[in-house]
Order: sequence, then structure tokens, then C-alpha cells
Amino acid sequence: MLSRIKSYALDGLRGYGVSVEVDISPGLPAVDIVGLPDTAVKESSERVHSAIKNSGFYFSPRRITVNLAPAHTKKGGSAFDLAIALGMLVSTEQAGVDDKQKPLNSVNDCVFLGELSLSGEVRKINGVMPILISAKERGIKKIVIPYGNANEARYIQGIDVYAVKNLREAVDIINGAAAIPVEKSDIVIGGAAVAGEDLKFVKGQYSAKRALEIAAAGGHNMIMIGAPGGGKTMLAKCIPGILPDMTEAEALETTKIHSVAGILDDSVGIVTERPFRCPHHTASKIALTGGGSTSHPGEISFAHNGVLFLDELPEYPRAVLEILRQPLEDGVITVSRAARSVEYPANFMLVASMNPCPCGYYGSGTHDCSCTPAQIQKYMGRISGPLLDRIDIHVEVDEVRYDELTSSETAESSSSVKARVNAARKIQTERFKGSFVHSNSKMTSEMIKSHCALDSAGERILSNAFDKLGFSARAYTRILKVARTIADLDGNPKIESKHVAEAIMYRSLDKAVR
Amino acid sequence: MLLSDVYLWLAYSGISTRKLNRLLEEVPLTKLWDSFGEDTTRLNLDDKTFSTLKRSHNEDYIKKIKYYLEINHIEYVTRADPLFPESLSQREVDPPLALFYKGDIYLARGDKNLAVVGTRRASPYGKYATEKIVKELAYSGFTIVSGLATGIDGFAHAATLDVGGKTVAVLGSGINNVTPVSNLALFDKICKVGLVLSEYPPDVHGSVYTFPQRNRIISGLSKGVLVVEAAEKSGALITADCALEQGRDVFAVPGDIDKPRSIGTNKLIKQGGIAVTSAADILDYYGQSTITKPQTIALDFTEQRVMDILSSGETTFDALVEKSGLTVSELNTALSSLIIYGLVHEKSKNLYTAT
Repeated sequence: MLSRIKSYALDGLRGYGVSVEVDISPGLPAVDIVGLPDTAVKESSERVHSAIKNSGFYFSPRRITVNLAPAHTKKGGSAFDLAIALGMLVSTEQAGVDDKQKPLNSVNDCVFLGELSLSGEVRKINGVMPILISAKERGIKKIVIPYGNANEARYIQGIDVYAVKNLREAVDIINGAAAIPVEKSDIVIGGAAVAGEDLKFVKGQYSAKRALEIAAAGGHNMIMIGAPGGGKTMLAKCIPGILPDMTEAEALETTKIHSVAGILDDSVGIVTERPFRCPHHTASKIALTGGGSTSHPGEISFAHNGVLFLDELPEYPRAVLEILRQPLEDGVITVSRAARSVEYPANFMLVASMNPCPCGYYGSGTHDCSCTPAQIQKYMGRISGPLLDRIDIHVEVDEVRYDELTSSETAESSSSVKARVNAARKIQTERFKGSFVHSNSKMTSEMIKSHCALDSAGERILSNAFDKLGFSARAYTRILKVARTIADLDGNPKIESKHVAEAIMYRSLDKAVR
Repeated sequence: MLLSDVYLWLAYSGISTRKLNRLLEEVPLTKLWDSFGEDTTRLNLDDKTFSTLKRSHNEDYIKKIKYYLEINHIEYVTRADPLFPESLSQREVDPPLALFYKGDIYLARGDKNLAVVGTRRASPYGKYATEKIVKELAYSGFTIVSGLATGIDGFAHAATLDVGGKTVAVLGSGINNVTPVSNLALFDKICKVGLVLSEYPPDVHGSVYTFPQRNRIISGLSKGVLVVEAAEKSGALITADCALEQGRDVFAVPGDIDKPRSIGTNKLIKQGGIAVTSAADILDYYGQSTITKPQTIALDFTEQRVMDILSSGETTFDALVEKSGLTVSELNTALSSLIIYGLVHEKSKNLYTAT
């Protein structure tokens, strides 16, 4: 008998329905899976065999053909196990049929997802969140997922989700037994203690701390330059603690990517804190952008709505850095492979750190630099102009003095900085309502024109700065955007000359390059 | 045959200037050309020198050279020309036979030329000191002579151009082989508004011998040499030595006693060089009054407070925050304005000083 079970597969972050057809016909015992399955899907026949047997059902020793429709898209992963097993049970009339051997309605209106273990347990899978969202959009009302993924389902309203622990429970559902769907809850953002360092433990570094605050408030990309031991990495670790709270939409978007990649914390099921990703400089291009045979997302997508921290920027291969240019501009990365082309969001804030020269001590007050000018130039040259062009805030980080290190006084804590950042971000959300832009850093040139008007004093100070400090043209819009954020932190709807003046201070590399 | 052509012949021979000058002391120039090649007048030349000169000893060859220079827009003066800088004719200078140049040769003849030289591995302090002193000197009408190397030389040229001053670059290689390549942009600018010259024919590559050789021309063109930063063994010290030999003044900017890059300059001061901490020291020495820029900028309260703190010496950003009691934002605003007014200078990262 032929049976048809609904399941779902993912193309990037977009889910699409897959109909799992199982037909049993006379012949030598064999299981054939068609519909462009990859190795993981092919192997599912072995898992399904054992799972069915060990769950107390009967595995038919006949010729079984499994088709995953639509048959032209490549299917991967282990999430079809449950649907295939159920299809076999329905085909052999062990489940989901009424007295007249006709399939029950519950077979047709429910979607099944899950990997099977040999014992018949249902194990958790990746990508449940985006599947739930897509399924809901397509009008699916009922979906069965592994119990291990139950937390992800709590935040998707308007769809009944049943979390099952083993094949038997899934069979009960297909037989129409009453089951309790996963309880829904609201997304709670903020409140929890944030991992990472607290700004109150950072001694001195006033200029850098202020720059962090501005960067966090406006979502500006930022680079810290300084000698080793200055605390660049520690400052970077403080960033998660002062980033503005996520909106619900942002939380769901980021969770989708983490869910697909399997890096989601199952005990929570949702990302409510802005991600902070710090890939090592040995990371490959694919690791950063995503790709591979399955077109999986990369670090820059994991950092979506959060921070991508690249420590020791010049140590990254140049080719790896250059690929950041397009995502930094567009906020998305398109991963194109022979089989398919997938778009992942990658709207991250880039925070980088670097030494001023290979030995690290150029311009240091305590050590002498041992580099030749050619070495320094080569080192700085590893970061291309176009990439630097996309970084709004440059800040120089000093070595910490001994007396600062040992002083017992504590500085302002991250939470009070965060309060100001949140307020500034709220102004921005209000300003960009109805557009795709969330923060000042992403303003288009048209928005800059309408939101960053300068008064005559501001104009004067900016034109003087260009004369005196030899800024390049690229610095102009960067300064305007940062000035906008500084004014927002000030609660001022207008950009005043003092805001421009402060923004000018964060262009140190433009001066140095000269 | 023109006298200048004979000089060109010698300059193109690739034989060291010292050797040629010795030769010219023994044999007058005209005789050298006219009777060259006759075995009786082989002089004391070794075989190699003789054959080198012999090979190019024909008028067609000289014509070709002149044509080549013309189409490459490279001009030249030889010792026979009235335009040849007098200051280089001194015996101690070991005068070059010809100078190949681009730009305004009159700058080389000026009487207010000052050489500014120093290490190629400049520290931010060296850069700061060069810019500060050179800008004021150039502003007061001095022509700054240097060697277009990286580091202090380059900063000196750039600072002069910044204030619209005159500058002369003396190369240690031919004019078509500018090194370092990173200074090409500077080279182009100086060609337009200043003077670039070399005693070497245009296509000569610089070598360990040529660069120290040109130092005598840098000091020779100038009335004094200012060494900004120099390690114990630095080309800048060669220039200072040349200056002493040629009877020029030697100035040096003092530095930290424990910094390798200041050992050379501090030693110069110990040996009798004139210590220079501002352009006024040099201007005073030459009996020139300092031109003070009128301060007409009205400072606001926070800016004034920052200036007051900075007037007692350089201060780090963190210390400014603590001393001024201003918020970081206020301080950044004030500093930014003060830098733009030209009253404050960021000496190195996060270290500020009043100019």
C-alpha cells in the first residue's frame, strides 16, 4: 500500500514541504530512497529498520521504495527518519489507518520531523525554528518535533507543536490520540546577567570606553589600535554587556540562524542576547561567510544582530578580510554553490583590534618600537582602504599605567552605560520606523541628508577639520553618522557643533594613513 | 666642444667624483678631452678607469646623452655653468661635476637653506619634532633641504609643503630611480614646487656608496644642518660630519637619554652641536626674529581649562580626564576643536601637548 507523510526541509533559512511517499511492493527485501538524498538520508533506512523493530513493530521484508518529493531538490540531514518510519508503518497498516484500512485524517494534516536512534528514540535535529516559522506561514496547523527541540517551539504562536520522545509517541499522535501541544511563552528579553566582562573593571581607558558606548549605541563598526597588553580584548569582551536589548523580531531572526547551525542552547531555545562571535584568525573564508556542500551559514551570520570581533585584524589572511566588504554594506551574504544559492542575513557590528606595527610598540610610551617603516607600512597595508572605509570609529588604546591598574576605585558599570545605549537606540528605532534600517550606522545617503543636517558652526568645524587633519572624503559620511549617534546619546534631536567635534576624534587612522 | 659637455662626459663615466676631482687637479679640463686617448697622456689612471672614459670619449655619445635628458625633461647644470650652486664649489664639498635636476634650480643657490635630516626609523616623537620645527622654519622663509628618505627626511619635506614652503630633495640615486617608492608622490610634488636634484645620471641605481655620498651635497647646499633623531650609527650623522668639515652649523634636537634613536643627536650636542628645542633657537642663531602667529581665537570655558592643563606639559588623555574633571565627551569635543584651531597637537596616540 502507498502512504504519504508530510515533512519539511530547509533551503537556507526557508523551509519547504517535503512529501515522504512510501510504497511497499512484492520483491526481494530492500529499501530504496529516491529524491536526491545525501548520505545521511540514505543511511536512515538502517536507523529506521532498527527503530521500528525495537519499538515493537514489524518491519516488512519486502521491497520498500521511499520517495522524497519534490524529487529535484537535494535533501540532507537526518530529520526525515521519523517521517520515513511512520510512512512504513502506515504502508504496512500498523498505524494511522482506520478499520477499513484507510489512512486517518491525522496522517495528512500533520508534519513530522525527527531523527531516530536505533532504539526508537526521537533525537533532536537542527533548524526547527525556521521550519516552524515557514510551516506556520504556509498554513500548517500541526507539527511533530523531537522533544529535545521543544524549547524552540515555545516562541512560535499560531501552530500546534507536539514534542515526542520516541517513535511510539509519534505513532500515538498519528493514530489520533489526544496529545498536549508544547506550551507557548512570550519572549523575555533582558534581565538575565550577560556573559563577558563588566566595564567597571576596566581601569582608565576613558577614551576607548566612550568609543565603545557610541559604537554600541549606533551599531557602528569599530577598530581599536594599541600596543599589546592595553586591554583591547578585554574592552571587546565588555561589548555584549552594553549592547542595546534585542527586539523580538531580531531575536527570532538570530535564533533561526543559530537553529540551522545547531549552535542554539536547547535549554533556552531562543537567542535573547546579542551574539558575540570571535572567530580565530586561522578561520577560513567558508567558516566566515558560510558555504560548503550544504551551504551552511558562517560566523558572520552567527553574529547577525550582534558583534563579530576580529582580534588582531592584520593576522587574518587578506582574502578572508575582503569578503567582509559586501556583507558589511548589505547586511546579507549570498552563498552560491553549484547546487543552490542561499541568502543568509549577516547584519553584524564589526569590532576589530590591531597593533600599530608588527612588534606592537610603535608610538608606545614604555617600549621602543623595533620595526622599520617598511614593515609598519606593510603591516598597515594588510587592511585595505575599502575595508577601513567601512569602519566608522577608530580608537587608540593605551597601555594601562601601574597606578591605574592598582587603584581600587571602580568605574561606571556596564549596566548604567547600557541604559544610555538603550535610550539612544530607542530614538533611532523611532527615527527609522518603517524602513529596513535599525541603527545610525546603516543610514543610506538619503537618510544622512535628512537626519544629519549640520548647523553653520558644525559645518565650519568639519571643513576646518578636513583642512587641518587632511581627512579623506570617505571620512565625511562616517563623521556625520557618528555625530548623529553622539547627539542621540545626548538626547538632542539636532546635531550640534560639539557632537561633530567629538566625532572627529574617532578618525585616528585617517590621520595616520596620511 | 663645450666645457659643460666635458663635465657631462665625466659625470656619465660612473667614476667616483673624488677620483675625477683628483684627476682634474692634475690635468685641466680642456686638455683632458682634447688629448685623451693619446698614450703619452695616460696620466696615472688605472686600466679600468681609462677604458671607461675611453669608451664614451666621442661627441656623438655626448649628444645622445643630451637628447635623452631633453626628452625625459631632466635638466642639468655642470660646474661650467653660472647656475651651478656656489656653495657646492667649495673644495671641502668635493664638488660634483654636474647636477641633474627637476624643478627650480635657483632654490639650490639660496642663502637661507637649512638641511633637516634624521633617522629613517622615526618615532612619533621624531615626527612631531620635525613637523613642529620645520613648519615654523619654512614659514619664516627657510628652504628646507633633505634627502627624500623615509622617516625624518620625508616628514621634513611634507611639513614644508604643508605650509607652502620651499624644499630641496637631494637624491642618492638617479632621478628616474626614486627610492623609496613610497615617497613617489612626495617626489612629484617637490618637482612641481621645489627642487629635486642628484649628482648621478638619471638611471643610476642607488647603492650603499651613493647614499652617504649625497649627504655632503645636502650639507653643502645649506648653511646649517638640523639633526632631529639619529641612532648611534646613522646616515644623518654622516651629514653632520660633512657639515662640520664644510664649516656649516650643526643643530640637534635633544631626546630621551635612554632612547636608542636619540643617542646620535645627544652625542652631537655633547660634541658642541647647538641644541634646538624650537624653531626660534635656529632663527635666533641667524639673527632673525620669530614670526609669532597672532592668536585671535576665543576659547570657551572647557577649552581654556584644557589649555591650562596642557600648558604645564604633555598630558595623556586619561590624565586630562582626571585633572580637568570634564566628561569624556566634553573633553573630546574640546580637544577636537583645539586641534583644529592648531593650538593642541596629538603628539602620539592619546598624548596631547600645546603647540
